[in-house]
Amino acid sequence: MQTLSITSLIKDSPSAVAILDTQLRFAGNSKVWADEFCPNCESLTGKNYFDVIPRTPKKLKAILENCLNEGVRNLSEGEKFIYPNGEIQWLKWKINAWTDANSEIGGLIVLLEDVTRVKRREELYAKSERVARTGGWEVDMHTNYVYWTDLTRDIHEVSKDFQPNLESGLNFYKKGEHRERITNLVTNAITDGTPWDTELILITAKGNELWVRAKGEVEFINGKCIRIYGTFQDIDEKKKTELDFKRISNRLALATQGANVGIWEYDLISDSLVWDDIMYNLFGIEKIANQTTYDTWLNSVHPDDMERSNQEVEAAISGIKDFDSQFRIIWPNGEIRHIRGIGVTKKNAQGKVVKLVGTNYDITELKNTQMMLQKSEESFHGAFENSDTGMAIVALDGSFEKVNESLCASLGYAEKELLTMNFKEVTHPEDFNDDRSLLKQITKRKRSSYKLEKRYFHKDGHVIHGILTVTAVKDTSGELLHFVSQVTDITPRIKNEKKLSHLVDITTEQNDSLLNFAHIVSHNLRSHSSNLSMLTNFLIKEKSDSERENLLVMLRGATDSLNDTILHLNEVVQVKVGAFEKMKNINLYDAITDVQKNLSILIQEKNAVCEINVPRDLKVRVIPAYLDSIILNLLTNSLKYSSPKRAPLIQISSKIESNAITVSFKDNGLGIDLKRNSDKLFGMYKTFHRNKDAKGIGLFITKNQMEAMNGKIEAESTVDVGSTFKLYFEKPLT
Amino acid sequence: MNITKIRSVCIIDDDPIFIYGTKRIMNEADFTDEILVFNDGQEAFDALKAITEKGDELPSMIFLDINMPIMTGWEFLDEFIKMPNNNSENIIIYIISSSVDPRDIARIQQYKIVNNYILKPISIEDLHNILKSVGN
Repeated sequence: MQTLSITSLIKDSPSAVAILDTQLRFAGNSKVWADEFCPNCESLTGKNYFDVIPRTPKKLKAILENCLNEGVRNLSEGEKFIYPNGEIQWLKWKINAWTDANSEIGGLIVLLEDVTRVKRREELYAKSERVARTGGWEVDMHTNYVYWTDLTRDIHEVSKDFQPNLESGLNFYKKGEHRERITNLVTNAITDGTPWDTELILITAKGNELWVRAKGEVEFINGKCIRIYGTFQDIDEKKKTELDFKRISNRLALATQGANVGIWEYDLISDSLVWDDIMYNLFGIEKIANQTTYDTWLNSVHPDDMERSNQEVEAAISGIKDFDSQFRIIWPNGEIRHIRGIGVTKKNAQGKVVKLVGTNYDITELKNTQMMLQKSEESFHGAFENSDTGMAIVALDGSFEKVNESLCASLGYAEKELLTMNFKEVTHPEDFNDDRSLLKQITKRKRSSYKLEKRYFHKDGHVIHGILTVTAVKDTSGELLHFVSQVTDITPRIKNEKKLSHLVDITTEQNDSLLNFAHIVSHNLRSHSSNLSMLTNFLIKEKSDSERENLLVMLRGATDSLNDTILHLNEVVQVKVGAFEKMKNINLYDAITDVQKNLSILIQEKNAVCEINVPRDLKVRVIPAYLDSIILNLLTNSLKYSSPKRAPLIQISSKIESNAITVSFKDNGLGIDLKRNSDKLFGMYKTFHRNKDAKGIGLFITKNQMEAMNGKIEAESTVDVGSTFKLYFEKPLT
Repeated sequence: MNITKIRSVCIIDDDPIFIYGTKRIMNEADFTDEILVFNDGQEAFDALKAITEKGDELPSMIFLDINMPIMTGWEFLDEFIKMPNNNSENIIIYIISSSVDPRDIARIQQYKIVNNYILKPISIEDLHNILKSVGN
């Protein structure tokens, strides 16, 4: 019964205790056992252990059997079992064999504890320690023993059996700032109990740099520090990310500040608008913390831009269009600034826009520059289009990129045509090289503009005189973009100059000829008058009748000569006053043949041949009487001054030239030594042959008649070979 | 007054009336005993050249007209200056012309060989003056 009493005592044990017999049947058990392991059993006594707890793990079963058979004890601080259904149970036990009075094994005493909850927590703690990369440590100040958890060792990259002391522990911190800081913190803590919490770099056993968060607390007993302990967290990744973020934020802040870009954030839920300092600067308003709202912004916007800007913000909020706008704002002092604003939306999980974040920057300068550029472009365009001067934008390869009306008019091309052409195509070949070499000086940056008087070709082929000014246009980096060419058409001026100089020539010529004429008149009249006065003087004194008769004959001759001279002079004067209105289109061939008929007797006498190579229908613009007189004079001269050595041959031919009709009279007569006589061939009273008929008046009159008809006469002659007179007539009017 | 006759005179002029008149006045003035007459510069030049080529003496005085056919007085002077053995230092040349053109008078001054210029008609006083200046 001894047994029973023990069993009844066991019943109230605060632990789960069971007494088993040699058959592992319950001899007794504490109530705690039943509650813990078999809550629904009424009584366990006499029942087999494995029947009561059929899921007893094999291991435990073997231990129980072994303890019974061998009479040994078995202890476990906790063993993890996983049951077939996946359930986990931690069991802690103490098993002892008991002996009876005969020292025979009577059974087993089993103390069993379900420690699953506690073990789970431990496991969780270890797991969380690993996940948080947080290790623990402890220093016993009395023994100076340092305890590190496994993870603390891990963080330090030391082996599991590494045993640090306080000093070697501190020496893991990076030399310098970091080691000094932790040493100070630990010293302070030991001295006055201040806990610490700091972030530092340590160098692991393998030499890696690592950011850690070190926390420490102190335990004091009777004013003496007996223990310090704490945690140790690997925050390297987080710290580095944080540092990177800080660096990037700093950089961004610097950049936005440098670029004067303001950053804003508009929270739609709270209607709060957060501005950075630059935003306030941009809007010229004093910073008021937490007072900025959407209206702060909208009220700064220029009234003319307000509605549009508001709509644009609403469009961004409703997701129609991102906010990217330009608007004017008015500063409190009234100044108007141009702002470019860009914003992006932030949505919540439901896809609803809750925030707008963006930037603002001042584009006033840009706007002003743009406006000035636009104005200057407009004024250039206006000047270009409306200029009386021909203007062109010429590409670097010489092709026309843009031309104005005036240039088109000067050159006779349509704008379309010119735009497909190169300036070379309209340039007179003789002036092209000058132009090109000057242009090259621009491309070689030796000059930035030049001016040149050059000739162009009009589309219809005639020459255009222009003054060209070429200016280089460069972009902001100094690269040549194109040339601006200005062409002043000076063709009318050149024409006028030519006309004027021609008029001056004519005037000079007429002056000369007038002066000559005056001298000729005075000389010729004087020579006759001197003869007359001499002869009359002789007559007065002369006594001999026969000699008086002789003198009278001479006097008669002298007066006849005087009369002839006056007639000639009159003829010349008549030529000089010849008028343009008398000019007509006359058939040249007919005129020549008419004169030829009149001279037929003389031609026959001289046995002369006259070849006329003139088209039957060729007309010249002349005064008919002058033409007759000229032909008559030239033909007569050829016959009069024919060579006695050969039968006279007179060849008359014509040629149509660009601005005149030329007619040449060629003979094989005596010829004139033009080296000696060229200056007086067409002079008055110049004779070159000892011919009694020669009066020296014919060619003088011919020349004057030609000039009166806007024509001219030239001569070529070789003594004893013949003469050729070339006449230049005006073309007939059509 | 010691008046010396001119050894020989050459008249170069195309005007027959002038030649007639000059000859007649020279007779009156007892100017010379020998008068050579040529109707233009070429004729005179050819003849004078022939004389020098023969080695004979050239006339000591020449009366030269300017306006003549074939070869003018100017041309004659140009050729005469170039003629070898022209004895020009001893030959006195007078230009006799009816021209009052200042250009002609200016041109005469360019010819060193020309002594003076006499405006037509030539008078007996002109000849007397010549004789006086030659005598001196």
